[in-house]
Amino acid sequence: MVDPITVSVVQHRLGAIVEEMGEAMLRTSYSQILNSSRDFSTGICYPDGRLVAQAEHVPIHVGALPWAAKAVHDYFGATIRPGDVYLLNDPYRGGNHIPDLTAFVPVFDGDRLAFWSINRSHQSDIGGATHGAYNPMATEIWQEGIRIPPLKLHDQGRLREDVYDTIVLNVRHPRDFRGDLAAMIGSARVGERRLRALLAELGSERAEAAIAAVLDGAERQARAVIAEWPDGEYVGVAHLDDDGHGYHDIPIHARVTKRGSDLTVDLSESHPQVIGFVNSSYPNMRSAVAMALAYLIDPDTPKNDGTFRPLQVIAKEGTVVWAREGAPVTLATNHCAQEILEAIMRALEPACPERVMAGWGRRFRIAIQGKDPRTGRAFIWHMFHARPGGGASSAGDGWPSAGEWQAAGGIKFGSVEVAEVRFPLHFRRHELRPGSGGDGRHRGGPGCELELVLETAEPAVANTAGDGVKYPSCGMHGGLDGKPHTYTLRSRGRRPRKLLTKEAGIELRPGDVLHVLSAGGGGWGDPAERDPAARERDRADGFVLDDAEGGR
Amino acid sequence: MSRYRIGIDVGGTFTDLVAVDDDGRITATKALSTPADQSIGVLDGLDRLSESLGLDRAALLAATDRIVHGTTVATNALLEGKGARVGLLTTEGHRDIIEMREGLKDDRYALRQPAPEPLVPRRLRLPVRERVRADGSEGVALGRRSLQTALATLREAGVEAVAVCYLHSYRAPSHERATGAAIARALPDAYVSLSCDVFPQIKEYERVCTTVVNAYVGPALDRYLNRLVSRLAEAGYVGPLLIMQSHGGLAPVADAVRLAAGAVLSGPAGGVAAMRHAARLLHHGDLIGFDMGGTSTDMSLVVDGEASVSTDRRVAGQRVALHSLDIASIGAGGGSIAHVDAGGVLHVGPRSAGAEPGPACYGRGGEEATVTDANLVLGFLDAEGFLGGRHRLDVAAATRAVDAIAGRLRIDRMAAAEGIHRIVNTRMAEGIRLVSVRRGVDPRRFALLSFGGAAGAHVTDVARQLDLTRVIVPTLAPMFSAWGMLASNLRYELTRTHIGDASRIDGAGLDAVFREMEAQGRARLAEAAFDGPVRCRRSADMRYGEQIFEVEVPLDGVDWSGADPMRAVADAFHERHEALYTYSLRDQEAVLVNARLAVVGVLPDPPAEPPRPARPDAPHRALRPIYLGRWIDVPVHDLDALAPGQRVEGPAIVESQTTTVVLRTGDRAHTTALGWLDIEVGAR
Repeated sequence: MVDPITVSVVQHRLGAIVEEMGEAMLRTSYSQILNSSRDFSTGICYPDGRLVAQAEHVPIHVGALPWAAKAVHDYFGATIRPGDVYLLNDPYRGGNHIPDLTAFVPVFDGDRLAFWSINRSHQSDIGGATHGAYNPMATEIWQEGIRIPPLKLHDQGRLREDVYDTIVLNVRHPRDFRGDLAAMIGSARVGERRLRALLAELGSERAEAAIAAVLDGAERQARAVIAEWPDGEYVGVAHLDDDGHGYHDIPIHARVTKRGSDLTVDLSESHPQVIGFVNSSYPNMRSAVAMALAYLIDPDTPKNDGTFRPLQVIAKEGTVVWAREGAPVTLATNHCAQEILEAIMRALEPACPERVMAGWGRRFRIAIQGKDPRTGRAFIWHMFHARPGGGASSAGDGWPSAGEWQAAGGIKFGSVEVAEVRFPLHFRRHELRPGSGGDGRHRGGPGCELELVLETAEPAVANTAGDGVKYPSCGMHGGLDGKPHTYTLRSRGRRPRKLLTKEAGIELRPGDVLHVLSAGGGGWGDPAERDPAARERDRADGFVLDDAEGGR
Repeated sequence: MSRYRIGIDVGGTFTDLVAVDDDGRITATKALSTPADQSIGVLDGLDRLSESLGLDRAALLAATDRIVHGTTVATNALLEGKGARVGLLTTEGHRDIIEMREGLKDDRYALRQPAPEPLVPRRLRLPVRERVRADGSEGVALGRRSLQTALATLREAGVEAVAVCYLHSYRAPSHERATGAAIARALPDAYVSLSCDVFPQIKEYERVCTTVVNAYVGPALDRYLNRLVSRLAEAGYVGPLLIMQSHGGLAPVADAVRLAAGAVLSGPAGGVAAMRHAARLLHHGDLIGFDMGGTSTDMSLVVDGEASVSTDRRVAGQRVALHSLDIASIGAGGGSIAHVDAGGVLHVGPRSAGAEPGPACYGRGGEEATVTDANLVLGFLDAEGFLGGRHRLDVAAATRAVDAIAGRLRIDRMAAAEGIHRIVNTRMAEGIRLVSVRRGVDPRRFALLSFGGAAGAHVTDVARQLDLTRVIVPTLAPMFSAWGMLASNLRYELTRTHIGDASRIDGAGLDAVFREMEAQGRARLAEAAFDGPVRCRRSADMRYGEQIFEVEVPLDGVDWSGADPMRAVADAFHERHEALYTYSLRDQEAVLVNARLAVVGVLPDPPAEPPRPARPDAPHRALRPIYLGRWIDVPVHDLDALAPGQRVEGPAIVESQTTTVVLRTGDRAHTTALGWLDIEVGAR
């Protein structure tokens, strides 16, 4: 039995260790998606995969690491040695989608494997048919990138160069890839060093007992919240617009049973798997369910194995939430992860209206490839601007332009001035989109309006990836839905054309204007209960349109 | 008669004053701060200071060469949300930059949280028809009519200040300048803040936020400083009044008012300036400042005698991108409240008992256990002699509060008190570790410099947790900031955005840009009637082609008349990048984004303090039981009574009027020639 003070100290220490791993990653990674957009996670797992601690970077990564750690452990078992480094990305072997590469450093206590120190990072490119893995045309996973099963990269401190070269050869920017991978391993080693210091300081037995108590504490906190809700069976359904290959209005079905402090989430009535890349891998689906619970409980509760013990998940292989091996899945960390989350929130709305939040915007990305007439060089621009709005909640209005539900304000869009200097693009307008947030006692956060002028001398090509031109961010507890996305391409001499969310090879001509209206967040609570002063402020600030009286 | 220089640091509770005379003798005093008008407290303090020196105030002021002042007026306006009513003029189509916040939100899992109110509501953010293109050319001419309409709206709204931030104005400021002139005509009383003056750099989010903060705090700082100037003038002071800036340098009043956003960290900057000075006096260039107060703890680094600087500060949630000393704050201090969560885990903070009701032991109605209550139960604090006996502490109340925590954890009282103490120390140690990791340094070679009232009881344990071996407690600890300001220089920072691939920029052209900035900086020093030595330091913000963050690269070693100065600039960048991030990419283009210049008017250092005369070791004042795993009677010393060089071995207590230092078993301390406590920390 370990004293409660040691437990508290260990809990703070674990939080600080995963945070320090993250700082090391930020300082040393090369790609913009890592050092600026921070699309990575750091964590610690037990050998069998159970989560010990995870830094608060990307919510959709929460609860995903255990599957990855378990896959590595199952594969290598007793052969794991100090100084080894393992990698994995395959969604059918513990990964969630292809671009997320995970590095594992085993942490030994004497000759016993005590923990995994883990870094998962979204690679700017991972091979496959299109740059950056988001390939709306993919109908099988081989078109999305290189698949890496549990793999040993370092053998007792020695890099396996043939293995390394095989991976590096299969990605488009080998220099960035090498730099980022070195940073990932460095970050995991920071965790290893500090965990070993913790074991040495407390002794194995006390450290293990304290960590077990930390997990139990998180479980008690999560259970205390769940126990407050009325027992019962709750059902929620959310829809994907389409898969880009003929399937439309694809339902995700969540049946949530709450008994005492236990929750069972049954997704098995969801739509059968589809052709395009909105299918989810199993770990990504589990992660989405964990993310829903993480959003519902108190935000300071640590996220670890204990937190998610109250949760049972039932799903059926061959459905869109758990695709059979071979299906493409790259968009799934956004879609259908957000729809899994939405279905659970919708289900639990009557059980805990004060805790569920209205829907945040869906992702709808554009990448433009062309030639910069000022330099003669090729460029690729990924749109992170014009982010959708955040959902409202019992606490207040939604955050403006705070992005998608699965990232919740964690992804930064860059400077317009810098983008104009670096790319042949002109941002004629980039501001909040009035009237886009769903009405409610608390209003959804507005999305954005972007008018982007292409200033190339030659035609360029665009791809899209996303969802949500049909289905908006959902309102909750009587609040109204936000406005969905509308992206329009205006080209001289042609009729304006609405862009689809899963298109490849869109031709853009010099002078074309992309008119982006991104989704607003959902509203929360009955619009009739909105504070008149807040309504007056909205009107003075131009956040509602003139005809928006009466909650329309 | 001796001449003086006076440092004045206005804090939330006390106004600290330090005078140094020609012989380096230091006289310090404090007065109660007067938040409604801080200048009243300053004048009260000057009365007390002159009393301590046996002078009348007029005589002291007549004999004073320089007053250096750190003020929290700008900081408080931000923290309390009591700044000016601001109007913002923006490029048409881009009015929401401050509210879009680059798409970011903190606290990843806190989705039930209202969005923060922007400093300028949307109805006062008005678009003006104009557009400068990325290359500096005019895309859309300044629309006089839309400008007049916007100004009419702002006049009607009764704004006190107008901020202007147009896209690409760092490159072509003429639209902003013309707008500034129009504001001066239409709203002659308004404080005007143009982004091309405040922060002429690329990246509109940083620029607009800084410009808006400037407008928000400017009027209050303007009013306050002008009031202070006239009160001092009435009192007979005719010398310069210099204001401590967030970047650690000083500025005359007129400049401080123009760049009000540069004063938002004026107060804590004094502490870092003092650390820098202390590093020189101690001949120990690597210091970590540990300033633990009632509700928060500030941590900062001095590396090789230089304070680290950051450009990504938020103050009260507002982005201020001006260079400022890098001070990290964690929300835990002596007043932080302990609580047990639903999972049975003990936490300390972030809630604080503040000054009212304060810790339970203050006897003002606080019932929850705080760090101070735990320290009292552990015997670290003297109930009778706290703060020099001005304030008796209620041991029974502290014990009751700690017992409540013990009950929830089902442990005994002493374990609970020790636990609270340990948890807060863990948070401090982890905070310091993160600050140093962020700066890319290993904290173990640093000495921990302890100041702030609550620091002494914690500092030796925090040092142990970090494997630091040296802790220093200056005698002036409570008035450390006021003292440090006297060792600061006049400083102007200038920037030009000058984007280009280093291999293609003409070295002579860049040199000319720097020279022009130097001339500008020297002219401003001359305006401030400064005629001493001037130092100019050139640096550049640079990045590799595809990166989006720049690294600041000092360019001190570049030979501008040499064959290939740009090659030297690029090399300096590769080396800096490698030092910070462990790698460089010499085959990649090195892009230069901003040229920076710091123009420093060097003020003479204050004369060295005379060493204390040797005298026999002082005996301890008393024995007191303290709890270090068990109760031990330890000697209690007065810091001021210790002889220079006197040794004290832990466990022991060393008390000063404002802090209590706990020496643990194995700690060995001695006093320096200046009477500072220099502690060699024992093993864990």
